Amino acid sequence: MGTLVDIKSVSCYTEAGRPLFEDASLSFSDGERVLIIAPLASGKSVLIRMLAGLSTPDKGTVTVLGEDIAALAKEDLNRLRQRIGFVFHDSVLISNLKVIENVALPLIYHRSSLSYEEAMQGAASLIAETGFRGDLWGLPGMLPLYAKKEIALARALILKPEIVICENLWDGLTDTEKRGLSLLLLKYQESNPGSLLIFTALSDADAPLVRPGRVLRIDGSRIIEESRA
Amino acid sequence: MDTLKRLGRTLLERARVLFEFWKIIFHTAESVIFRFNLGRKATLDVLLKQVYFTAFEALPIISWIALIIGLIIVTQSLSILPRLGGEGLIGEILVWVLVRELGPVFASVIVIARSGTAMASELGLMKSSNEVSALEVMGIDPMHYLVAPRVLGAMISVFVLTFYFEAISIFGGYILAGFGKNIAFSVFVDSIMQAMGFIEISVSLLKSLLFGLIIGTVSSYYGLRVKKSITEIPQATTKAVIGSLRLVFVADAVITILFFI
Repeated sequence: MGTLVDIKSVSCYTEAGRPLFEDASLSFSDGERVLIIAPLASGKSVLIRMLAGLSTPDKGTVTVLGEDIAALAKEDLNRLRQRIGFVFHDSVLISNLKVIENVALPLIYHRSSLSYEEAMQGAASLIAETGFRGDLWGLPGMLPLYAKKEIALARALILKPEIVICENLWDGLTDTEKRGLSLLLLKYQESNPGSLLIFTALSDADAPLVRPGRVLRIDGSRIIEESRA
Repeated sequence: MDTLKRLGRTLLERARVLFEFWKIIFHTAESVIFRFNLGRKATLDVLLKQVYFTAFEALPIISWIALIIGLIIVTQSLSILPRLGGEGLIGEILVWVLVRELGPVFASVIVIARSGTAMASELGLMKSSNEVSALEVMGIDPMHYLVAPRVLGAMISVFVLTFYFEAISIFGGYILAGFGKNIAFSVFVDSIMQAMGFIEISVSLLKSLLFGLIIGTVSSYYGLRVKKSITEIPQATTKAVIGSLRLVFVADAVITILFFI
């Protein structure tokens, strides 16, 4: 198994100087499913956002897909980010783009060889896989939470990333909705066996949905790992 | 001593903001020249939408204002010039006032009021709702995808609206005010064409492009300076308007002095 994420002696502090976690070392490999469990404001978002280069550690190094994130030039970081799919806690769809354009945007922007129609077709078929039943050509502002998460997930998967990071994916959803999104991710990993899935959650109540191989807990300023079969 | 310190701090802050403006201009130039093909379809879409909202949708209001300004200037000119024995100067007066000065300035003021505010508030909202981070995480540079097309769109729009304003105000002004004053249309057109030299067109062109650059840059800067709270958005919008107006008028004065003194 190849290492996709390598976190070495990383420490992060709040602006007030409170440690979120200190001297943490972790590595994640291809094909793994990792669940990070921690209460609100405990640093799990900081940890996963570091993997996408949205924040930098106060100490230590974060290597993703063989690249030291903090040392990358802007263009190299943007290239690396195409290999990472990220679903934000609150979905964060681009409000002035239609639903289908939100999903097609990474394709339209990064795959210049594709025509506009091909990008839209690709987006439409991926959205169909999520089971989305809303208006593809409507703006996303008024969509219910579940539909927003479906679209955010489709957008994260559209470039077939090697790493998929989901921030509190199940928050605010019914059991059926949680199962729907989880199955979609498991299906994605089945068809892309080398991909790494990372989830965060407030509790381990939803862990069975994705059957994680590894579970990490942020407790105080320590990251504790428990193994699962 | 305190006054000096305050003055020093203010100057440093102004210098820092100007530096940030230069960075936006640099990124826009870099995007247009060196990254033209990157995400071309997506950025072109943003550019076209910007030009549509800023230029095309402003045509009705620009037409009204241009007609009224043209009417005022033609009426004033035709009432004063005969008393001074300078009826033949009507073309020169209109070109000096409308083409050299009022065209670019009025087009800019309307673009600031309609689109500078929209740009700052839209970018501010995108920033506060994490949409800018969402673009970053997709590997899309917000300066390239959001800012450069807006700055370029503002430049194209002010340029188009300036020449539209000038045409409507000159000819509309003649139709509304000059029609019954015994000046034949052909004489009027001749007088305009004789007064309209290379320098007048160049100054109008330069001003419109520069003012568009200022509006796009300043509005984008204040929009992206919003951090996490939506209550910052109205403040950003106000700062964008005041900052754009201030720089447009300073730039106007500098260009006029450089070209005509």
